[in-house]
Amino acid sequence: MNEKNVFGKGSKKNRIDYKGILGPNPKNRNKNEEILSHKRVTIPNPLKELHTTSENYKGKINIIPSKDFCDYEASGKGNEIENICLSNAIRVRNIENNSTQVTLDNAKCFLCGRCEEAYSSLFRMEKNLNPPAKNKKQLIDSVELEPQHPNTGSKNLSLNEKNSKVLDYEQIGNELKERINSLFGRSLAIRQVDGGSCNGCEIEITALNNPIYDIERFGVHFVSSPRHADVLLVTGPVSRNMVVALKKTYQATPNPKIVIAVGACACSGGIFGDTYATSGGVDTILPVDMYIPGCPPRPEALIYGLLSTMNKIHH
Amino acid sequence: MSDNLFGKKIFEYESIIHEKFSERIQNIYCKNFNEIHILTISPEDSNEVSYFIHDKLRCGLVTVICTDERNIENTIDWKDKSVNSKQTINFNKNWQYGFSLRLIFSSETDDIFFIVTTFLPNVDNPAYPSNVVRIPSAIYYEKEIFDMFGIIAQGNPDTRKLVLHERWPDNQFPLRRDFNIKTKNKIRLNKPYKFLKVEGEGICEIPVGPVHAGIIEPGHFRFSIYGENILNLETRLYYTHKGIEKLAETMTLDEALLLSERISGDESVANSMAYCQAIERMASIQIPKKAAQIRTICAELERIWNHLGTVAGMCTDVGFAYGSSRINILKEKIMRINEKLSGSRLLFGVNKIGGVKIDFKPETLGLILADLSQILQDFDNLVKSLHNTSSFMDRLKGTGIISSQDVQALGANGVIARCVGIDIDTRKNHPYAYYQYIDLENIQGIVDKIAYEVELKKRKGDVLSRFEVRVVEITHSVHIIKKIATDILDKSTKQELHNTPQTQNDEGLVIDNLKNHLQPYDSALGYSESHRGQTIHWVMLGKDSNKIFRYKIRTASFCNWPLIELAVQNNIIPDFPLINKSFDLSYSGNDL
Repeated sequence: MNEKNVFGKGSKKNRIDYKGILGPNPKNRNKNEEILSHKRVTIPNPLKELHTTSENYKGKINIIPSKDFCDYEASGKGNEIENICLSNAIRVRNIENNSTQVTLDNAKCFLCGRCEEAYSSLFRMEKNLNPPAKNKKQLIDSVELEPQHPNTGSKNLSLNEKNSKVLDYEQIGNELKERINSLFGRSLAIRQVDGGSCNGCEIEITALNNPIYDIERFGVHFVSSPRHADVLLVTGPVSRNMVVALKKTYQATPNPKIVIAVGACACSGGIFGDTYATSGGVDTILPVDMYIPGCPPRPEALIYGLLSTMNKIHH
Repeated sequence: MSDNLFGKKIFEYESIIHEKFSERIQNIYCKNFNEIHILTISPEDSNEVSYFIHDKLRCGLVTVICTDERNIENTIDWKDKSVNSKQTINFNKNWQYGFSLRLIFSSETDDIFFIVTTFLPNVDNPAYPSNVVRIPSAIYYEKEIFDMFGIIAQGNPDTRKLVLHERWPDNQFPLRRDFNIKTKNKIRLNKPYKFLKVEGEGICEIPVGPVHAGIIEPGHFRFSIYGENILNLETRLYYTHKGIEKLAETMTLDEALLLSERISGDESVANSMAYCQAIERMASIQIPKKAAQIRTICAELERIWNHLGTVAGMCTDVGFAYGSSRINILKEKIMRINEKLSGSRLLFGVNKIGGVKIDFKPETLGLILADLSQILQDFDNLVKSLHNTSSFMDRLKGTGIISSQDVQALGANGVIARCVGIDIDTRKNHPYAYYQYIDLENIQGIVDKIAYEVELKKRKGDVLSRFEVRVVEITHSVHIIKKIATDILDKSTKQELHNTPQTQNDEGLVIDNLKNHLQPYDSALGYSESHRGQTIHWVMLGKDSNKIFRYKIRTASFCNWPLIELAVQNNIIPDFPLINKSFDLSYSGNDL
């Protein structure tokens, strides 16, 4: 028996299917699981996992156009709705044509659900993704309630419609990889800075490194010094005692650099607001390129945020 | 409140203290089921009473609360409250309110808290004699009170800033009532903190932080080293100070609940539970049984995923990636269970004053029990393989040793106390929620109980001991959840069979009219055992009983941080991350 027989034209029975062992060939996926003593747990694409989010997941507060609230501002009850929110995320305003505009600032919302408890016909907690944005204004949802034509209320749901649009997450994940490759060679180095968070966001950021989300396969990795970093991932409302340290970290990071604010606190101060001890958001200290809302944002939302950041630099 | 709410023991203690110190105290009474309040005449008297409780009754100092009561007049009527008390003595009607100091002690043998109160005269520079010499664990409380209230503890040797750092002006004290929360002070640079200097040939310093190499919270560590050996470590924390206690004073009761969940993101259930219990105790109300069961299940889930995270972190820090990867998978599974149950991966939004916000369906509970059994089985296998990995065990054994004397002197608790064989646990010493209905010690059977006690004796206070404590607690917690889930499921099936009428007290999830029972300026303690240790909250209501006057938070991290400085001495620098992870302390929960 010569080498030719083993590797070349040997009988099909004896040939080892290297493809099945080494590569994630979807056709042979079942075979793989038989060979491995621990089956693979890494999800095909972290963004795809969003579809399996549990039904009661507190993902985002959505405003539902409801005619019951059309004349709230006119009758002076708008304040009542606004005051239910601890971080002042809700605004009720009268605009032209006698209609009432209800806005919700996702940068401030920390998903406590108090508005849903009090006004369940206007606000609803849903499991959808709280989309990150480059600009704070894009985080504001607004709905106009028209008293004359209550049935056409849904017409004004322009922003919400965009949010609920089903995205092809697989495609987005590949795009992320391509963009990172084109910009920073093959990798994106992230330095995480805690600006006085409650540790909730850190837990979700740490989860990116676990075998289930495994962000390193996209070329994203966490580095131990700002001098090695392309991205500063900042959490927390930036406590007064951290201001100097955060500025120093920013200065130590080489250009080009990106700052991402993670969580409601980093986006706007969140529940901690703007006090003697906090600054009320990362953008009061540093220029911020991307806001990832949520309290805390789930790992999928963090990856989504990284993609959107790359987008900004690309254009 | 009637006498039958109290145990007999509490009155025995009351009499002992009354007889011994009748000259020194104005008033003594029992309140909120298990609190003995002692109002002393002067700060010196307060110290004497404290020394007696600390040394003779063997009660540990759990917290010191300062309150600015300068502008409350005749509202806290001590005379009214003395109705429950056996004795009323030396009552001084024309008492001048100023700053109040409350030293709180917790008995380890009985379910009793002692609250020694004293009022400081309303003068410009208030001061009181320090307790530090007799009660060492008071040192950080006294420093904190100086920073936040400007009250000097005469005799405390450490006068450096703690909470607000050097960049804060010297004459502003955030927790005084006349301080505006929105005050913005310019940051002063060039005023360095005076670290303890270790001098000698070949000794150098390594500064680490506040921005660390890993994904963790900020804090500064100053090592003095000789070669690789650590001679001294000084921790400099409070980088995440967010003014939580001051912020709570602007909030209503429901709003402060949301704040309490965000004291430390990974202790959300323990902290919100302690807060809710403070309010519920004030109103003398027991929450419905089902609500207590749900709270307890969530608290144990929190303990499991945090302990798993710590064990995984310890594997990472010794460079054993296999262990950390596999345990992190289990942690992620528990976080998904959390999401299924509460809608939040970190269990935000579980508790509510008077009950809970979420409900468990029997079928979800069944699925979760199956998941938990699988996770526990996987975990047991992993621990076996960790025990057989010599490179892992060698790093843990004999590293970062703390002594039980230090633990007792500095008032450490939780895992840190149990790793030197001191078996204190708030769930056992001061049972709350559903823990009072279950036999915690015997939950895994008598064999495991004896094994646990033998193991406890062997604990030496090194990293390995802390590892073992966490491993044991994960198993224990799974058993607690199983027990409670069986109780819930039994009940729901029984009801289906017999169709028994439901009493409101047993079956609802929330008590709605709780707030009607609250009195202005009332106060109470709330406590729970987080995965880090004892969590103590103290809430005092304002003139409007829906508002908070003072909210004092003390998490286990506050007591346990000083122990790290002792644990790393004579260890090598590369072991520091491992020792730090084995303690697993919260920065945010400490800094507030």
